[in-house]
Amino acid sequence: MSQINYRTINVDQLDPESSVNFPMETLLPATLPQPETSSDAANIANQVRQLLRGGDAEGALRTALDTAPLGGDDRAKEVHLATVIEVLQGIRQAEMARVLEGVCGADGGAERADCLMKYIYKGMSSSSGPGGAKSAKSVSPQSTGGFSQIQGRNLGEGGGGQQMSVLLNWHEKLVDLTGTGSIVRVMTDRRTV
Amino acid sequence: MTIAPPSPTLSFHSSLQPHCLARHASVGLSERLDPIPPYGAVLWLTVARSAPPASIDQVVSDFDGVTFHLSTPESKSKILISINVKCFKELVQYGAQEVLEREYGPYIVSPEPGYDFSVQIDLENLPAEQEAREEMIMKLALLKRNAMAAPFERAFDEFAKLAEEASRYTSESAPQGIKEGGDVMSIHYREEEAIYIKASFDRVTVIFSTVFREETDRIFGKVFLQTSCRDATECASGALPQHSPLELEGVPGVKHAGEGEMSYVTFVLFPRHLTPQRRYDSISHIQTFRDYFHYHIKASKAYIHTRMRKRTADFLQVLNRARPENEERERKTASGRTFRVQS
Amino acid sequence: MSQSLRPYLQAVRASLTAALALSNFASQTSERHNVPEIEAASSPELLLNPLTVSRNDTERVLIEPSVNSVRISLKVKQADEIEHILVHKFTRFLTQRAESFFILRRKPIEGYDISFLVTNYHTEALLKHKLVDFILQFMEEVDKEISEMKLFLNARARFVAESFLTPFD
Repeated sequence: MSQINYRTINVDQLDPESSVNFPMETLLPATLPQPETSSDAANIANQVRQLLRGGDAEGALRTALDTAPLGGDDRAKEVHLATVIEVLQGIRQAEMARVLEGVCGADGGAERADCLMKYIYKGMSSSSGPGGAKSAKSVSPQSTGGFSQIQGRNLGEGGGGQQMSVLLNWHEKLVDLTGTGSIVRVMTDRRTV
Repeated sequence: MTIAPPSPTLSFHSSLQPHCLARHASVGLSERLDPIPPYGAVLWLTVARSAPPASIDQVVSDFDGVTFHLSTPESKSKILISINVKCFKELVQYGAQEVLEREYGPYIVSPEPGYDFSVQIDLENLPAEQEAREEMIMKLALLKRNAMAAPFERAFDEFAKLAEEASRYTSESAPQGIKEGGDVMSIHYREEEAIYIKASFDRVTVIFSTVFREETDRIFGKVFLQTSCRDATECASGALPQHSPLELEGVPGVKHAGEGEMSYVTFVLFPRHLTPQRRYDSISHIQTFRDYFHYHIKASKAYIHTRMRKRTADFLQVLNRARPENEERERKTASGRTFRVQS
Repeated sequence: MSQSLRPYLQAVRASLTAALALSNFASQTSERHNVPEIEAASSPELLLNPLTVSRNDTERVLIEPSVNSVRISLKVKQADEIEHILVHKFTRFLTQRAESFFILRRKPIEGYDISFLVTNYHTEALLKHKLVDFILQFMEEVDKEISEMKLFLNARARFVAESFLTPFD
């Protein structure tokens, strides 16, 4: 015990009354849906995929957003994120506005819009692809010789650029529809996706 | 890293015209190939322009830690010029004494204490013609160049000998000695940096080792070297940055250039650079490589620094736009009088 | 402006506009203190969900909102060693002048090149949309500046190499 430097112990963490130990669960609403597991999420993914294959992009997106595992574990959330991104990537740019209006215009549309916004931000924060490993911070050594260094910097997209640009496009369309309100709700809603 | 400034402080009794100084002091992109130290200007004034002799006692620094001492110990008309080179012992080993004797024969005096080599000129005993005088000044100004030229000259001579020998054999039957070429001559002209020269039957290889103190210098240097490399394919005298070159294997004191600060630049001088007509210029020019190279790295850094400073000022301006303007709030009362709102 | 840059900047603008809604909030852990909660991190309920807007793996913005402060971190594109060193030099240059850039954080958070810290005092004294403008302009200009400096460096290197080797020709 004498080995432990007691000065480095954060005593606040040992105090149940301390604000560091604020019970975050109390911030969640009581109406949280049942916890889901990753296998549930996988089942939904299959349903959504079928809808998407059937050409019903709007239905696919609606189902995916309605079944978001707000109370699920991390694994279920990962799987569902992959599903949503797949749907978003599967919808052509020209159809985006129409699909969005369909999904967010109907009854409970505002909820779905907020949910979609959550997924867009989550998709952008996970580095390369859903569930992908965080890219190591590395700088590629410059190739020797060659004319590579003269090339314009903005020609090549970095990794994950494709998926990000899809998400950014959706983000733009969604902000057009809902304004910054839904972004604020993403920040403040403790029911994360 | 400290580099001797291109124009060390000169405070001579004789008046110096600035343009004269500038011309001689700039080693950077000067049109001349010869590295002329700044004291050339003084000589120019006193000798060529026949300015009245004055007493001088001045130490002048040049690149690579070389110092010159100009003084008039005996009388005002006798100027003693001494040079101190860090690697003079090595240079003597490679024949510097002979080269210097050849160049400065009649002027040589025994070296001043603390210096390696001294020459003395007598102002009362100068060549009569202006041209001859100017030539003499140039020669004296090239003291450092000539001292450093010795190993190069030796390597060039060695190359000529080897080439001649090699021409008598086919490439297969040549004896080992000719194929391998001469020994590597190393000149440790700076604290940690050195020039290595090696003659072969078909070329002379000159390798500079150089140290980058900072990460920025290292990367800038890499850009510069890579570019030289690329141009080298067009210009044929190749400059190749590399990690510990093969030629230097087994040479004592060569540090390994792994991730360290050391990098090596290799120049290959081909026979057409080594012809008697061109060798003078080749030697003069290649000596300036390090100074030239580092000068441009520093200059780029300085430029980028100014750029950033300017850009930062711009950003600050943009940020300050976020401050709401305090407009003059002037209001009128019902009776028509104006007053200012106290804020 | 390149095709993918516009939606990226647009998304950052929208996110910042949403995040810069701050109010005065005195510390609840120590009396008579008023600290940026995002830095103190002493009360988890005061921190909001962080937002990430990213263009690709090398360019991203992290917005960490809290009740009285927002931390905005930028990651600038660095394709190779030169850009890396230029970005490093530039951001260091800026952070050393953080005193006059009142919203600049003196040290970027890990994984990012430069961070800003906007508190409620800033949003009270400054115009919010101009602050957002500043950050967006900053993002654009840094990119431009880095590529220009790189081009300059290469151009100079080429010129220098040519002029040194020409006499050997």
